[in-house]
Amino acid sequence: MATLEVRQIVKSFGQAPVLRGISLDIASGQFVGLLGPSGCGKTTLLRIIAGLESVQSGAVLIDGRDVTAVAPEERDIAMMFQSYALLPHLSVRENVRFPLRMRRRGSRAAQLARATAALDTVKLAHLAERMPAQLSGGQQQRVALARAIVSDPKLLLLDEPLSNLDARLREEMQVELIDLHRRLGLTTVFVTHDQEEALSLSDRVVLINAGRIEQTGTPREIYSDPKTPFASDFIGSANLVAVDIERVPGGSVARLCAAAVLPVGETAPSGTATLVLRQEDLLLARAQSAPPPPGTLRAVVETRIYLGARVRYVLRVGEIRLKALAAPNELFEVGDALDVTVAPGRSRLIEA
Amino acid sequence: MVRGVPPAIRWFARVFVAATLVFVLAPLIVVAGVSVSASQFIAFPPNGLSLRWYGAIFENSAYVKAFWTSLRLAILVTLAAAVFGTAAAIAIHRRRVPGADAIAALMLSPLILPTIIFSIGLLMLWSATVGPVSFAALWLGHLVVTLPYVVRTTLAVLADSDPFLEEAARTMGARRWQRIVHVVLPQCAPGVAAGAFFAFNISFDEAIVALFLRTPDLVTLPIQIYNQIEFSPDPTVAAVSTLMMAMTVATIALIDRLFGIQRFVGT
Repeated sequence: MATLEVRQIVKSFGQAPVLRGISLDIASGQFVGLLGPSGCGKTTLLRIIAGLESVQSGAVLIDGRDVTAVAPEERDIAMMFQSYALLPHLSVRENVRFPLRMRRRGSRAAQLARATAALDTVKLAHLAERMPAQLSGGQQQRVALARAIVSDPKLLLLDEPLSNLDARLREEMQVELIDLHRRLGLTTVFVTHDQEEALSLSDRVVLINAGRIEQTGTPREIYSDPKTPFASDFIGSANLVAVDIERVPGGSVARLCAAAVLPVGETAPSGTATLVLRQEDLLLARAQSAPPPPGTLRAVVETRIYLGARVRYVLRVGEIRLKALAAPNELFEVGDALDVTVAPGRSRLIEA
Repeated sequence: MVRGVPPAIRWFARVFVAATLVFVLAPLIVVAGVSVSASQFIAFPPNGLSLRWYGAIFENSAYVKAFWTSLRLAILVTLAAAVFGTAAAIAIHRRRVPGADAIAALMLSPLILPTIIFSIGLLMLWSATVGPVSFAALWLGHLVVTLPYVVRTTLAVLADSDPFLEEAARTMGARRWQRIVHVVLPQCAPGVAAGAFFAFNISFDEAIVALFLRTPDLVTLPIQIYNQIEFSPDPTVAAVSTLMMAMTVATIALIDRLFGIQRFVGT
């Protein structure tokens, strides 16, 4: 268990910049998710922390010690690869023992005992004698996880830990990773492109876009208070609408298009801005009166996607389109006219 | 049975497979048959049954000497081909040498270039630079011929392996030599074994280089068989050949037992 500090990391591959000055401070025992679209540099950052990639400038400090120039094998870390990277010629037990054997920690018997204990932690002790090729994908991942925790590393790095699993296993493993982290308290950094994975696992989410940190915060902060259009779009794929802020008696309104305005409170400065509306914050009701009541948008259902627990609608309001997620209690049909309101206090403005 | 294949084609396929088997196996059966003949002459079907020609091999010092020459040569060639071939395959696989692709292509050339031309060239080059041909010249010639097999089979297994294994080993604290011993070489092992198997058999069986580089003191088993059949043909030739076949089958069985040979079929 250790702290991790990343200072002003700059990295490019040839002419292409990958990381443009990334700084992070991770407390001992934190579970941090690096989230971003593919190609944003998150995996490169993880590999830099591991020591598998060099940097153009900047520094990596583990427990206060500058390890920027230290080889990965000397960093006392563990990394779980997306492909799991199990050694195909070694049994499950020997795979898990491998980090201890390479670092010459303890006697052979002690190493084997620790390997068995680590396999116990991931509930795979009964498969210790098998070869990796004889295991399912989910079991292979558990072996990789056992191998990552067996040496009690200062830092646990996970590259897309759930992405190769099917939906069921993914849910199961999610719970197990959280549980494992609570029991072992390892400082953990993982990479994911899946916002749900990031929100569900992390103490802290670091949102990365195009080589820069877009926003960091608890999952709740990131979700409910996105600071940039990218953050609101990437997480929960919110509606982003360019609006004009207009002063009216008693406050301000945002004009979405000619016929649609929404009240946005008194504090909004006039000018143009981006209005962020989360899909689940749009409240839908069948249109009642000919002109919509004040503070309401008149919309027409353009597409309906039934998801089981939820229903997604694509709505047309004047010239703009809005996505909305609603409970399936009342199903609207394509072409229905709706009155759309925003859940109180849930509309957000970001400076354009 | 595959459905939807017209009967005519199915019959053609059967005949084709049968014909292949006959043409591949018939000469071997004839050789084995001749070797147990009681007659003085090479004749098939055998004239009476006897193992006397097998006994005769071991009384013929020329055969015994040629056998030891061939065995020593094949072992040394195999060892060298395995060591250099593995190293070359790893370097080519990692693009750690300039022009790795060109070298990989060059590795095919001994398979394409007529061996006879290579043999003449080696003979001339060796005579001009080193002097009279020797065991070392023959070893070098066989090494050139067999090296591509080890490189190709090793490259094939490396191409199939997880490219992140070595990086993963680094994060597990493995230093350079530990990675080579515990990760890289075990990955290569099945390919090296298959390549070494080819190298051994090719060297043991090779006749063209050995013919050009022979001296009265440097006669390999295939050359001895050739000499025998040219100057005093008798069924010992068949007996030696049958033993060579048996040896090949035994090595195949051994390698297959250890590494599984099927994965190299088609590479």
